Amino acid sequence: MTYQRDLSLDFCGVRFVNPVMLSSSPVSNTGEMIGRAFDAGFGGVAYKTIGKGDVKIIHPFPRMAGYDYMSRKLVGLQNVEQISDRPLDDNLRDIRYLKRNWPDRIVIASIMGFSNDEWRELAVACEQAGADMLEMNFSCPHMTVEGSGMKVGQAFDLVENFSATVKAAVSIPVLAKMTPNVTDICEPALSAKAGGADGLAAINTVSALTNIDLNRFVPLPDVAGKGAMSGYSGPAVKPIGLRCIAQMAQHPELGIPISGMGGIETWIDAVEYMLCGAGTLQITTGVIHYGYRIVEDILEGMSYFMDQHGFESVDDFIGKALPQTVPTDEFDLGHQGVAAYDLDRCIGCGQCHIVCQDAGGQCLAWDEHSRRPVMDENRCLGCMICSFICPVSDPPLISPRAVPGKPEVIPPPAE
Amino acid sequence: MESGYTLAQATAEAARCLLCHDAPCSGDCPATTDPGRFIRQLRMRNIKGAIATVKRNNALGGLCGALCPTCDMCQRACTATGIGRPIDIGGLQRFLVEYGWEIGFSPLAAGASNGVQVAVVGAGPAGLSCASDLAQAGFAVTVFDRLDGPGGVPAHVIPSQRLSRAFMDREIQEILDLGVTFVGGREIAGRDDLQALFDEGFAAVYLGTGAWRPTRLAVAGNDADGVWDGIGFLGRAKADHNGMKKVVSGQTVAVIGGGDTAMDVALVASRLGAKDVYLLYRRSFPQMPANAEERQRLLDEGVHALILTQPVGYRVEEGRVVGIRAARTQLTDRMVRGRRRAEAIEGSEHDIPATLVVEAIGLRPEESIRQLGLIEFDRGDRIQVEAATGRTGADRVYAGGDAVRGAARIAEAVGDGKRAAAAIVAELGEGVAR
Repeated sequence: MTYQRDLSLDFCGVRFVNPVMLSSSPVSNTGEMIGRAFDAGFGGVAYKTIGKGDVKIIHPFPRMAGYDYMSRKLVGLQNVEQISDRPLDDNLRDIRYLKRNWPDRIVIASIMGFSNDEWRELAVACEQAGADMLEMNFSCPHMTVEGSGMKVGQAFDLVENFSATVKAAVSIPVLAKMTPNVTDICEPALSAKAGGADGLAAINTVSALTNIDLNRFVPLPDVAGKGAMSGYSGPAVKPIGLRCIAQMAQHPELGIPISGMGGIETWIDAVEYMLCGAGTLQITTGVIHYGYRIVEDILEGMSYFMDQHGFESVDDFIGKALPQTVPTDEFDLGHQGVAAYDLDRCIGCGQCHIVCQDAGGQCLAWDEHSRRPVMDENRCLGCMICSFICPVSDPPLISPRAVPGKPEVIPPPAE
Repeated sequence: MESGYTLAQATAEAARCLLCHDAPCSGDCPATTDPGRFIRQLRMRNIKGAIATVKRNNALGGLCGALCPTCDMCQRACTATGIGRPIDIGGLQRFLVEYGWEIGFSPLAAGASNGVQVAVVGAGPAGLSCASDLAQAGFAVTVFDRLDGPGGVPAHVIPSQRLSRAFMDREIQEILDLGVTFVGGREIAGRDDLQALFDEGFAAVYLGTGAWRPTRLAVAGNDADGVWDGIGFLGRAKADHNGMKKVVSGQTVAVIGGGDTAMDVALVASRLGAKDVYLLYRRSFPQMPANAEERQRLLDEGVHALILTQPVGYRVEEGRVVGIRAARTQLTDRMVRGRRRAEAIEGSEHDIPATLVVEAIGLRPEESIRQLGLIEFDRGDRIQVEAATGRTGADRVYAGGDAVRGAARIAEAVGDGKRAAAAIVAELGEGVAR
């Protein structure tokens, strides 16, 4: 049994045993699957987006393509999967099944209507089936049904309109799931709030092209010779997700709970999302890569993190990085420094010299004989790129060192 | 021969490379291999470029990748050792060559013909390397060998566990595809043979005749039945696997020596079904010329290593060897060629039963090569050359590889062939009127 603190929290007035959920995707496709995820430790689920079924949903083949970096598999995932292709009644039965067997786990029904009426009917049906909350999918970037998903999320009046329709139809809390594929994610978020949404969920996938087949000239996944700009997820999008969450959490007029997601695999990712203002968390690509078991390490890691900092409840650290997240014009530009080298542990690869020459301040000479860099701190920009590629770690061989009163380093013109 | 890396495995290995500035691995390969460059190319997914880097430098790049003891050579300089273990440079080089075969990419091409004919004598690594570089420079090259097939020691001696016939043939075929002609079954060793080649129209001759003469133990009984030399044993095992299985199966085999040949013999004897294989070596493990990897393979194979053990005679009954008379040794402080000298301990003599003995204690060029006119030899029957060019004392006669060095590493043979080819190109490259 793994160590776990009390990680419970209230989110939009609903009690979660822990903040980690499956997001609405292939990993939350059926009641049987979600049941196993609950057994593994997930605190809730955003159930695979449910449609009315009047428009037939067919998933393209193939529907996903992995994005690898060198030998690292699946740093990103491209997909053109649609909303649930299962009959509405089957999905409703599975919601009942889940609430009957795992009453302490939260089932959020993700829904997508293709008209005002459909939004209303889906909302009512899911509430009646026992869903604890609803999540309105305004954000799938690759719907084959024209004018749906992300197209709604980019038309802010529709966001407000559909939010109002759903909110008026049910008494359970309603989340609006936002797309990052807008200039400022706070704008549709404000529209959702204006329509009555109780909370926000973000980010849905980033619209992207990850791979182009070099023989057939087709973006992947190659669906019978054609590819599409479509949803990109996984660890590669985490930085974008964190930014979106922090933006919404800091917005003075929003002030509603946020369920955060985008590339969460480890407890560190999870804690970062919460430090940026997310209350609950959702995961898909991490599960596609590793399975439901990853929740165990997220919960245990988060528990040890709380021990380390003396946090009694997850509420103690939700949003804790926000005060330190500022516009760059608030930086103290008087604070300057250099890259400090612990050359006793240098192994002599010389990558620092190369990057300093080609991307830094040309302050690192190279001693061919000893195979060691020779630093001229007066010319060090303090850009620290050398530290990013240095292979010696634990602790890093190169670290930033503040130099009070350091004179400006301005490279001279070429001679 | 064990399989090499797949693309995914090679990519993972290349990803560990630190892509050093002034890469130390590229510093001192006798065959001028540039791992720093081809690993970077692989890392940047410029795989064809990486294959070209390997093959254009060394047409036997696959062979070298598979056989070269890189752990004792380029990998010793690998900076990644400082944070873990060195990059498997030989494995990556072999991968690139095999991957080129897999995708049908050959970066080698014959040069525009300059009408100059060169004769290469000996189709081992030195000769083939010279031939390949000359063909790429536009020369018409004929390679002669007294054996029927090309490939020298790698093809005819090195066990198939380390180098398969198919692998060797494939890489040699790429050299023949450059227009190099192979003439087997012709020995060039007579007093007038060199002159005869010039008379046939060859403008230059490269001698890569190798070192095929085994050093023998100077003890009585070494002509008894059941006593072999290492290169003879391996050659027979490679040429006639089933025949040798009958000879070795069930025998108690004793191998004498601590170098590559001894390791190969012990391994092959074990695989051929020997009941027990003993390896006798008069010094200790660190002094063995065989590298750590080979030594470990031997121990894993179950060979009984008898270090600090020196044969002093054979026990022979009715003309057949039945055992070795051996003495224990100890290492003295006197150094001989960088290694501590071993001396027998008085009164330590004992018998080691053995029904088949293989002496693998050294190789040198055959004495018969001395009959070749025009050129000079040292006392070890090695052809004397100018190191930088491979020039012998005779006009337009070059030499390299084991014929010059005695048994040496494959990369050294390749380097010799390349240097001589460069010298021949410099001397004759513009085309000559004979």
